[in-house]
Amino acid sequence: MSGHRTIERERTRSLALLLSPITLLLGIFFLIPLGITIVYSFLEPGMYGGVVWSFFPYNYGRLFGWPIGGGEEFEPLYIQILFNSLKYAVLTVIISLVLCYPVAFWVSRMTGMVKNLMLFAITLPFFANLLIRIYAWLLLLRPTGTINSALISLGFVDKPLNMMFTEFAVIVGMVYVFIPFMFLPIYASVERLDWSLVQASQDLGASPLQTFRRIILPLTAPGILGGSTIVFIPALGNFIVPSFLGGSKVQLIGNVIERQFLQARNWPFGSTLSTVIMGSVMTIVLLYALGTRSSFSRSARKGAGNG
Amino acid sequence: MAKWRNASVGAAALNVYGIFFLVFLYSPLVLIFVYSFNANPTNMAIWSGFTFDWYRTLFGMQPAASAFDAAFTESPDRIFQVVRNSLVVALSASFISTVIGTATAIATSRYQFFGKQLYQAVLLLPMIMPDIVLGIALLIFFVGAGLKLGLLTIVIGHCTFLSCYVYVVVTARLVSMDTTLEKASADLGAGPLTTFRRITLPLIMPGVVGGFLLAFIISLDDVVITYFIAGVDTQTLPLFILAMMRRGIRPQINALAVLLIAFSFVVASTGLYLRSKRN
Repeated sequence: MSGHRTIERERTRSLALLLSPITLLLGIFFLIPLGITIVYSFLEPGMYGGVVWSFFPYNYGRLFGWPIGGGEEFEPLYIQILFNSLKYAVLTVIISLVLCYPVAFWVSRMTGMVKNLMLFAITLPFFANLLIRIYAWLLLLRPTGTINSALISLGFVDKPLNMMFTEFAVIVGMVYVFIPFMFLPIYASVERLDWSLVQASQDLGASPLQTFRRIILPLTAPGILGGSTIVFIPALGNFIVPSFLGGSKVQLIGNVIERQFLQARNWPFGSTLSTVIMGSVMTIVLLYALGTRSSFSRSARKGAGNG
Repeated sequence: MAKWRNASVGAAALNVYGIFFLVFLYSPLVLIFVYSFNANPTNMAIWSGFTFDWYRTLFGMQPAASAFDAAFTESPDRIFQVVRNSLVVALSASFISTVIGTATAIATSRYQFFGKQLYQAVLLLPMIMPDIVLGIALLIFFVGAGLKLGLLTIVIGHCTFLSCYVYVVVTARLVSMDTTLEKASADLGAGPLTTFRRITLPLIMPGVVGGFLLAFIISLDDVVITYFIAGVDTQTLPLFILAMMRRGIRPQINALAVLLIAFSFVVASTGLYLRSKRN
């Protein structure tokens, strides 16, 4: 009996040993900093970049426009930028989803070595430096860049198309940077797709469109949802892509946050914007978790009903 | 018959589409590679002969053509120092993260404890949180705590998300692993430490090393978080490239980009291979 208890105690001790490093690391250098960001968002900006330790809700007022005080005024510009960032993130999700979806089917039809190599080839660009991937699009899109030079020498246009510093450039850059995140979850759900259901639907006379809408789409929905979530989140806060490909034309929320911290030195307002992003991310993650859980329990119920 | 023909037309279309997708992924990178050997100093889009000059100027083996170019690469010492900073950060951050991440993976996959689900959820957050949010949170924290921004703060910052990354990679390995040997070892009277050292660790080693290599590359290539917590005196290779890009597009950037991509791809391929390797 006491031997059993010794083993128990030893297990508890080794568990504590295994878990303490990550607990300390994430507690001190992740959760506390995020907490401080939230606290900062309620502090008054001081002179020359400092903060004044007094409760100051007007950073949020400046952003969302409720009764204002403390020298801050509602600036509708910021809410507009926030919506603009949402728009760009949504567009990035939709375009990368449309681009990746057929590719997932293409790869899932392959077999053996070819399939593994293809998965590897699609994953690899993710490990090329982010800046270099953006830099490549600078080379392609700028007035004297590859695309314009080609179009001019082929005689399609006589003066360079204006592609740099446009919404188009930012979207292309974001899609290019985040597309590896979209592919893998979609591929995983296509790979699990039960083709006998597709066959059955076709045998029963459903049109290809019906089969797609009623069978293939719902069965691959988890992958679509997963991919969309992990593309949307980094796209929402991104500031490197718009700062190089959007110039002063496209200002997203990430650019504003960067400026508040490194140039304007208004840390509380920067923290406010960051807290808003954090809040959106947590909401999305929570919705995603609830969504997958309810679809799991639904299919579990269905399974039980059938059995 | 008609249906069969439709199917094969569809398959052909899918092939064409898939190849276009690969071209989309790789042509921008191939373009940099080709441009890095183009002798034309003013317009990269026009080929004017093959040269190694951009690689040579990068390492000070050849004087830069103009004062403007010289300002880019400054001196070879500068780039070597930047590379050294990056390697120091990437090696220490990925090593620490591999130890912490592996320990965490073992705890969550081999033990039952109160609040385990919450732990598992929180462990995913540092990877999900947008880089800019984590970057400024760490900046506020380090400045508030009076830590001088520099290599140490970069290493700490990288550890927060890399540990979680290694945790995910190693967990995948542990979950798919056969636990019979571990049980047999325990039944034969081996202590937990012996079982871990003699059985578990050798079996999960490919996952651990794979996780280490992938963490190493992610750290080496990190831009956004490093950007906020590096401070004014410390530069890593990505920050150096960022500064170069802000000054303008120059052929030297192509050469540096090719070298960095080649290095990243070699290390990441090894990591991906080890991660996917079966027992």
